[in-house]
Amino acid sequence: MKNFEYFKPSTLKEASELLIKKGANAHILNGGTDLIIRMKEGITSPDVVVDIKGIKELHNIKFDEKEGLFVGACVVLNDMAHNQIVKEKYKVLSNAAKSVGSGQIRNKATMTGNICNASPLADTSTPLLALDAKVLVYGPNGEREIPINELFVWVRKVSLEHGEIVKGVRIPAYENIIGDFQKISRRKEVDLSTVASTVVKINDEIRIALASVAPTPIRARKAESFIKGKKLTDEVIEEAAKIAASEASPIEDVRASKEYRIEMIKIAVKRNLNAVRS
Amino acid sequence: MKYVGTSVNRVDGIKKVTGDLKYVDDLKFPRMLYAAVKRSTRPHAKIIHIDISKAEKLPGVKVITTGKDFPKRVGLYLEDKNFLAVDKVRYMGEAVAAVAAETEEIAHEAVKLIEIEYEDLPIVTNALDAMKEDAPLIHPDLGTYKYASVFAPKPDTNISNHYKVRKGDVEEAFKKADYIFENDFYVPHIQHCPIENHSAIASVDREGSLTVWASCQSPYAVRLALSVAFDIPLNKIRVLSPAVGGGFGSKAGTTLEGIVIPLAMKSKGRPVKLTFSRKDEFINSFVRQGMHSKFKTGVMKNGKIIAIKDQYVWDGGAYTEYGVNITKAAGFAAVGPYDIENIWCDSYCVYTNHPVGGPYRGFGMSEIQFGIERNMNIIANELGIDPIEIRRINAQKVGGRTATNAPIDTCGLLDCLDQVLEDFDPNEKVESLSPNKVRAKGIAFGMKAPSMPNNVASSAIVRLNEDGTAYLLVSAQDIGQGSDTALTQFAAEVLSIPPEKITIKTGDTDHTPYEWQTVASRITYCAGNSVINACEDAKAQLLELASLKLGIYKRDLKLEDGYVVSTIYPDKKVAIADLSLGLTMPDGSGIHGPIIGRGVFIPPNVKDHDHETGLGDKPVAYWTYGCQGVDIEVDTQTGNIKVLNVVSSFDVGKVVNPTLVEGQIEGAIVQGIGSALWEELKFKDGKPLNPSFVDYKIPTANDMPEMIIKFIENEEKTGPFGARGVSEPAMIPSAPAIANALCDALGITINSLPLTPEKVLNAMKEKNNK
Repeated sequence: MKNFEYFKPSTLKEASELLIKKGANAHILNGGTDLIIRMKEGITSPDVVVDIKGIKELHNIKFDEKEGLFVGACVVLNDMAHNQIVKEKYKVLSNAAKSVGSGQIRNKATMTGNICNASPLADTSTPLLALDAKVLVYGPNGEREIPINELFVWVRKVSLEHGEIVKGVRIPAYENIIGDFQKISRRKEVDLSTVASTVVKINDEIRIALASVAPTPIRARKAESFIKGKKLTDEVIEEAAKIAASEASPIEDVRASKEYRIEMIKIAVKRNLNAVRS
Repeated sequence: MKYVGTSVNRVDGIKKVTGDLKYVDDLKFPRMLYAAVKRSTRPHAKIIHIDISKAEKLPGVKVITTGKDFPKRVGLYLEDKNFLAVDKVRYMGEAVAAVAAETEEIAHEAVKLIEIEYEDLPIVTNALDAMKEDAPLIHPDLGTYKYASVFAPKPDTNISNHYKVRKGDVEEAFKKADYIFENDFYVPHIQHCPIENHSAIASVDREGSLTVWASCQSPYAVRLALSVAFDIPLNKIRVLSPAVGGGFGSKAGTTLEGIVIPLAMKSKGRPVKLTFSRKDEFINSFVRQGMHSKFKTGVMKNGKIIAIKDQYVWDGGAYTEYGVNITKAAGFAAVGPYDIENIWCDSYCVYTNHPVGGPYRGFGMSEIQFGIERNMNIIANELGIDPIEIRRINAQKVGGRTATNAPIDTCGLLDCLDQVLEDFDPNEKVESLSPNKVRAKGIAFGMKAPSMPNNVASSAIVRLNEDGTAYLLVSAQDIGQGSDTALTQFAAEVLSIPPEKITIKTGDTDHTPYEWQTVASRITYCAGNSVINACEDAKAQLLELASLKLGIYKRDLKLEDGYVVSTIYPDKKVAIADLSLGLTMPDGSGIHGPIIGRGVFIPPNVKDHDHETGLGDKPVAYWTYGCQGVDIEVDTQTGNIKVLNVVSSFDVGKVVNPTLVEGQIEGAIVQGIGSALWEELKFKDGKPLNPSFVDYKIPTANDMPEMIIKFIENEEKTGPFGARGVSEPAMIPSAPAIANALCDALGITINSLPLTPEKVLNAMKEKNNK
């Protein structure tokens, strides 16, 4: 690992200014479960590391009937997954969070880190996409909200400007979420998704999100509009799964072939839809 | 017996759970330098030029070495390797140069500054292709290499060993057979994944004496290899192996030691440390060889197999100094645990541009038996015979013959099968609770002998202290298998001293006596016998002195709980403590001196096989047999497999420590599950694609099945208290049993490992398209 300068500011302002001052080779450090590995392997070699864990407000997790759930950028996955409100009202998010890495990883890693890393297979991405989450961003020109589907630009690329810091993720309040998360992987625990998917049903609206099937996690909008207004019969589910698969553009890699991934999108979406149907 | 057969607590347990035990990488010495290795980026290339000028100038860099510094070839059975490549590289990742620097960071930085000019050579990465006549030669000078006489390298080819079995007349038998079956199988490269990475520290003092601390299974084998490579007499080399965090074969022989020593020789007395990264573990320690097998089997209508012609082609990788012996071991077990009259077996060790193949738990047996046991089920299914029945018909039994035509005088194989069947009903149909899942059951046999030269030697020393406690000195290494505890139990039993009063010392060639290697599941057996002999020697001395002291014939004395006691008058006794430094006579004079027992052992009567036919009456010390039944659940939509239950039975001769041997078998089963379901080191044109735990998966705690572990105890006559080795054999049946369960339940054919979800779905599709 190359030498680097380390800063641990206590305010967002300070952190953002540091990032701007130190330039493009300054990197935010949150849980570190991606960054440190990349640094050890020499893939990322920042000159400056800005640790945001000293910023108190980023550790909040709160729920409000109107605003919904806010999960601060530095809330670790295990704290979120086992939070009582999250378990009751956003079960699907809790389940997805519990599937990230190992227990040890989840004690360090955060959801904000998971999505900002912008891996196509980020496990928390599909529930966030399906629930239309908003990413709250602090920047030199003030604060802004980015809809989650606009955050992901490409493999490992997000729509954040240098100097911008994600404060956390807001998930709208919904009357009643019926949701299901599916992760198909080689090994059940401590593995990356070969394919992951989330389906939520909110007031009869069905939303489908997929990961590890395209350069970014995606919503399967065609499949969603196909389902719209239809009763979830076996035939509808079968067809919707096929349509969802047609919206994906998976690759072949060391984990699976393209064909297997397409097959698994169908299976995962079918399982999702069957789960929300009953 | 008092101690043998009981679950004595691990003698190294407290040190391990508290972290007090120091592994090599924990050791730090004053002024120690850190090493890093420049590795080949080409799978096969001539080294045209190595430019170290930039690296040398980096502040903090102390020494840089290349292959030219010590060009002498070394090897355990075949001298075909250099610790640093000389003139050419033969696999991607091969060590080309090494740096010692003030810090690890500087060493790694310096390595990046070393520039190497290569000239690419044609590569060959499939062992079957490498055998072809026009294949590029990886070792053109093979004909000039030195090798142990039991091997047969073929000059001007890539074949570094060809082992043949020619028993009976297969062609005649095929004519008589009612059916002929032909099947091919493949097992990929896998890696041991010990929890502790390889680490070594070398230090050379001003007299030229070399000290090496290494996380190695075999300090004496390392010492010998280093002596040959660097022309240092054995009395000037000290190898210490303070602790080993799992070996599974990857720490047998020598790997990184040969890289740090040249650095230490040039570093003016400063010690040099090198610790492998996990990526290094995957590529640069040892891998289990990939292997292509094919079987032609002649069978009678009643299920009796009358002939097998098989071929094993091993992907030995760039160097096969150790791998050649795996080929030979496979030949001894040519048809697995079956008694077949006519056998024609060719086992070839083949060079490829892949990482170096070497010993891995099972030493070839898991690889060949995957094919043997799948072949058995395929034949049984075709004939409509129960897979268990066909095994009963063909199993090796007492009075029968092994593949090398050796007579079988002990064989608990069918006892193991029957013991498994007590807890495992292969025909019981269990419905899965999920509609997408299918439950399936399968069974497989396993068999292994210690794969070692005939005359391998062991020794032990036992020293009694003034208070009646004792030191036991051996160079058998506890690599997690529990040998420190088992050997202590043997000593406790013979000396009748409780295990907590015995301290075992291992792994220091200056102070602990000779042991060939901790491999081959041979330690309980070989080192165990030497420990017993050492303790018997000490006991004889004690009885001699006690006889004088008590005026009782030696034959009427025994050792009991720290005393020499009369077997006739139990109150007549003398404490071992009082005899530990000799006997003090009534007039105050003393005789004899300290009690030191010495014991040695070589497996009796193991002899060379015939080169032309591969046959031999006793090519191995003994065979260990066993059987496992598995119960799995397959997700027929995703292809994922979960192993739910395993019932295992092995004939261990004598259970020395129930808790430890159960743990060993559980570990073996889980390792077998890993190789069955996930493990495969993938390559593309010689480049390793998944050398990390991100994409090379081994079982987690979540993947543990319920395990019922049982034992048969048919005494091994030459074994310590009747025991035989079992740590490797127990892994062998796991993978084929899982494959048999899967294939039989779904009516599919998968003849390669691992059984990935994708292969399962493709095989199901293929079946549906038929």
